Amino acid sequence: MSLDKTIKGLKASFSKELSKSKTSSDLEKFRIKYLGRNGKLASLFEEFNKLPASEKPRFGKELNILKNELSSMYQDVVGGSKGSSISNNTDFSLPGYNLPDGNVHPLEQITYEIKSIFQSIGFSVAYGPEIDDDYHNFEALNVPKHHPARDMQDTFFINPNTVLRTHTSNVQIHLMENQDPPLRHICCGRVYRNEAVSYKSFCLFNQVEGLVINEDSSFAEMKGTLEYFVQEMFGKNTKMRFRPSYFPFTEPSAEVDIWNEKLNQWMEILGCGMVNPNVLTNVGYDNKKYQGFAFGMGIERIAMIKYGIKDIRLFYQNDKRFLEQF
Amino acid sequence: MKVSLHWLKRFVDFDLTATELADMLTMRGFESEVVTDFDNIDNLVVGDVLTAKKHPNADKLKLCSVSDGSETFSVVCGAPNVDSGQKIVFAKVGAILPGDFKIGKAKIRGIESFGMICSEKELGISEEHDGIMVLDSSLKAGTPIKKVLGPIFNAIDIEVTPDKAFGLSHRGIAREVATMVNAKLKTPISAVKLNSKSKDVISVELDKKNGCTRYIAGVMKGVKVGPSPQWLADYLKSVGQKSINNLVDISNFMLLEIGHPTHIFDLNKLAKPAIKVSWAKKGEKFDALDEETYELSNDHMVITDTKNTIALAGIIGGMDSSVTDTTTEVLIESAYFDPVVIRKGSKKLNLLSEASRRFERGTDPNAASEAFNMIVQLMQEVAGGTLESIITDECSMNLSNSKVELSSEKLLKYAGQVIPSKNVESILKGLHIDIKKSKKGWSCSIPTFRTDLSSETDLIEEVFRCYGYDNIKSSFNYSSIMQFANDEESTIFSLKHHLSSLGFHQSYNNSLEDLEEVKLFGKDPISVMNPSSERMNTLRTTLHLGLLKNLDFNYRNGSSNTMIYEYGTIFEGKSEKLESITQNSSLSCLVHGDLFSKNVHFDSISASFAFLKGIALNIFEDKKLNINIKLLEEKHHYCETYFAILDGRKQKIGGIGVIGETLLNKLDIAHKHDVVVLDIDPTIFIDYRNFKIKVNDVVPYPAVARDLNFKMDSSISVGDVTTAIKSVNQSILQTVLPVDIYISKKDKSSKDVLFSLTFQSPKKTLEDNDVNTVITEIINVVSKKFNAKLRDN
Repeated sequence: MSLDKTIKGLKASFSKELSKSKTSSDLEKFRIKYLGRNGKLASLFEEFNKLPASEKPRFGKELNILKNELSSMYQDVVGGSKGSSISNNTDFSLPGYNLPDGNVHPLEQITYEIKSIFQSIGFSVAYGPEIDDDYHNFEALNVPKHHPARDMQDTFFINPNTVLRTHTSNVQIHLMENQDPPLRHICCGRVYRNEAVSYKSFCLFNQVEGLVINEDSSFAEMKGTLEYFVQEMFGKNTKMRFRPSYFPFTEPSAEVDIWNEKLNQWMEILGCGMVNPNVLTNVGYDNKKYQGFAFGMGIERIAMIKYGIKDIRLFYQNDKRFLEQF
Repeated sequence: MKVSLHWLKRFVDFDLTATELADMLTMRGFESEVVTDFDNIDNLVVGDVLTAKKHPNADKLKLCSVSDGSETFSVVCGAPNVDSGQKIVFAKVGAILPGDFKIGKAKIRGIESFGMICSEKELGISEEHDGIMVLDSSLKAGTPIKKVLGPIFNAIDIEVTPDKAFGLSHRGIAREVATMVNAKLKTPISAVKLNSKSKDVISVELDKKNGCTRYIAGVMKGVKVGPSPQWLADYLKSVGQKSINNLVDISNFMLLEIGHPTHIFDLNKLAKPAIKVSWAKKGEKFDALDEETYELSNDHMVITDTKNTIALAGIIGGMDSSVTDTTTEVLIESAYFDPVVIRKGSKKLNLLSEASRRFERGTDPNAASEAFNMIVQLMQEVAGGTLESIITDECSMNLSNSKVELSSEKLLKYAGQVIPSKNVESILKGLHIDIKKSKKGWSCSIPTFRTDLSSETDLIEEVFRCYGYDNIKSSFNYSSIMQFANDEESTIFSLKHHLSSLGFHQSYNNSLEDLEEVKLFGKDPISVMNPSSERMNTLRTTLHLGLLKNLDFNYRNGSSNTMIYEYGTIFEGKSEKLESITQNSSLSCLVHGDLFSKNVHFDSISASFAFLKGIALNIFEDKKLNINIKLLEEKHHYCETYFAILDGRKQKIGGIGVIGETLLNKLDIAHKHDVVVLDIDPTIFIDYRNFKIKVNDVVPYPAVARDLNFKMDSSISVGDVTTAIKSVNQSILQTVLPVDIYISKKDKSSKDVLFSLTFQSPKKTLEDNDVNTVITEIINVVSKKFNAKLRDN
């Protein structure tokens, strides 16, 4: 018998017997008979091995097709008894697989966006400890122990000399202690304030702060840098203003407001200023030679403005119905 | 600080509405908000209450008819003091009151009301809201309120930053306004020193530690305590303060007028007419004016009459020496106290007063004498009496102006552009700073009321602030100095994204948790000394607590499937000393429920231990990281099963565990089982940031697949068998994967495990024989080692 015929015959008897096999034990017997290790299909392959080399390519191809056909016929029947895979493959109106849908937290997204903007103009990123000593969080930043400026940031204490940082500025001090100018860095992370929890304040929030120290980094350069940031972050036509303010670690200090068209009002988005010469002295920089600027912003506040979120606590509740929207 | 326009006009003439003034001050560094701007409220007029009857459907409401001079409106009013014949503030429909309170037509208990009769609180005048504000009966109905109340009650609220002590008074703000509108500052009360006919002298002794460096005292006799005159009461009222009596009002008035706190003692209540500034004894009890008793410590500075403590210096007066209705002779105090002493004292008692707020920021030592002289004059005017002692002025401090140099080069370098000299000079002069041209720039003489100006940058700030930040042109040129922007967490960020695209939600949980809950996780937690609530008094030692709460929260809100992770800092320490605290970044995932729920295509697939094991493989066995992980079971404080994940160097880089029921019960989590967590040590990703990829050749020879089905005792671990199979051959046996496990319902003591094997050689196409030899060996090994039998296929 030629191999051609054998193939046809096998195919016919396969489909005939398959249609008769109803029970699962029938099907298993059937599988061993045809598709098993010593089954009919396997013996065909053995015959194929004996063929002269000239005929091998043609039959090799045909045998492979046969193998695929038979196993898919078998799978259709076996699968069909379990579910409805035949109709699933042809009914294109069925829903697609419902893949789990994950998200990166909105605050993470905003942080990333802010980082990217500053990285694109050459800022590096630094991190530092959330628990730090009073010196790095306050004194080195020109906030002496008994100064009213301490009231600007309600502080959580671990012990009288150790605090949960109230801003990421402690990272700037560590950075300057370990590195000489020029510096162009942003720091980001969690900061803590001992304030009553409400829709507009939480006991912690995330900050991004920046620091630029060089021989000639001026107020004008600070304005340029932050204008670039605001335009990238909020859009090219965003109206903004620099308003005089006070921070112990910068002088002159400013707050930046952007105009909110919908609410018809200015909204404060960040604080900034020329680094106070006392801070430079504290880290051992020559404040006659070097100067620079610093700025800082709260991520939650920016996320709230950007997404129209009214309650800051939502960020820390991790309600799926909230997170899914980002 | 509430500032009244009426009051400011004592010092400077200007023609600005409250809104305009607030905007201008804001741009000068005094962030201001309008409290009430009557010029901006329409539909607010004097109303005439024609009748006020009981509301037919409510006992506590009245139904009034109110005339605005031309029309009569029906208005429902809840105030007990409303009565017919009164002239009142009538907000007609369409008025917008402070706080964006829009007045519309309303139906109250079935009766239509057209407008509102206002209380002082609704108008932003004071906190008074028990009754409506009753106006002078001679006013004509229909007169716009802006004409009646506007001149006195237009007010703004200024957030004075801690550096600007000089802004804590009307005179201080008026100085700023005067430079803004280019006007002259007026002197409403002269500060000329008065002479007394009496030769009596009050002896004053300053303390020895320079806590009090100036103390002025004098005696007034024949004063008559009584109500304040209307003008004085109005000024106080315009900033929301109640009038108490003429003596108290004078002192309060002076504080808000020029920002210098003073105190008035009842002379006859002092042991003798003498003042000694000293320090409290530790544990000393002090009865203060606010009717509280404070326990003082020895760093509290006190005022004594040489015998008893009569005031807590610079913070609050004593009860026993205070002015009462029967007072006729007083001792007036006007002093300068050291800011740090006052701040420490006030903080220690948690007692902040208007006086301490000013002293701790630094007052003008010259204002001490001004305030004293002004008080004497005011007292003569409103309470009678005469000065009956020589004014004692003990002073050990410098009262002259300080000098600060401002160099034009520094100013240029700071601004990044030229600010014309004539602008600089006119700005400084406008701030009452005397300037002299010097070689490098200007030599500036700083008035004593500007305690905040002591360095060159202080002056630069003043110049910028007054020149206008908007007038300094921005410059921006980064392209030429680009550098490598480095972020050690960039690989962590990719990992977060990876997890999120696998279906995880990222959580951000509070780092502050409840000590009792944190303790359940069995590490050494760090607590906060001054928590805002007991629910948030301790730093988290694990991310699991927050994730479990998220699981529970979402379940209670209707979500049965949870896949979440968090990246954040966890804290531990044997003590609260900074050196013994560890604060490390950590990453944990938590899953529960279905990864896929049942659907038309297949049955549900649960998010199980095996799922997280797969995730761990997926994350760590990244070709680039080139780590081969191993799992090693270990004991865990609260996981019923926990496997450490080890890398090739046997270092622990994470773990997978099933949270135990005990913990879930204690935390009252809705789920009691199948809560699985995966911990990942993020440092490994930071370490491997600079990995080097080395590419292997792609093998061109086909792979051969074989299946082997073994029957074995059901207690045998499939993982052990897999390892045994793998160990048989390392050259051509590429993968071993259990693909099916069958346990018969009748006989559960054994199971059939189907292994799928692939063979491939990097050198040639494999022959049957090559594979069969290995297969035989495998069958041999598995049969012997596990007493397993090869099933016939």
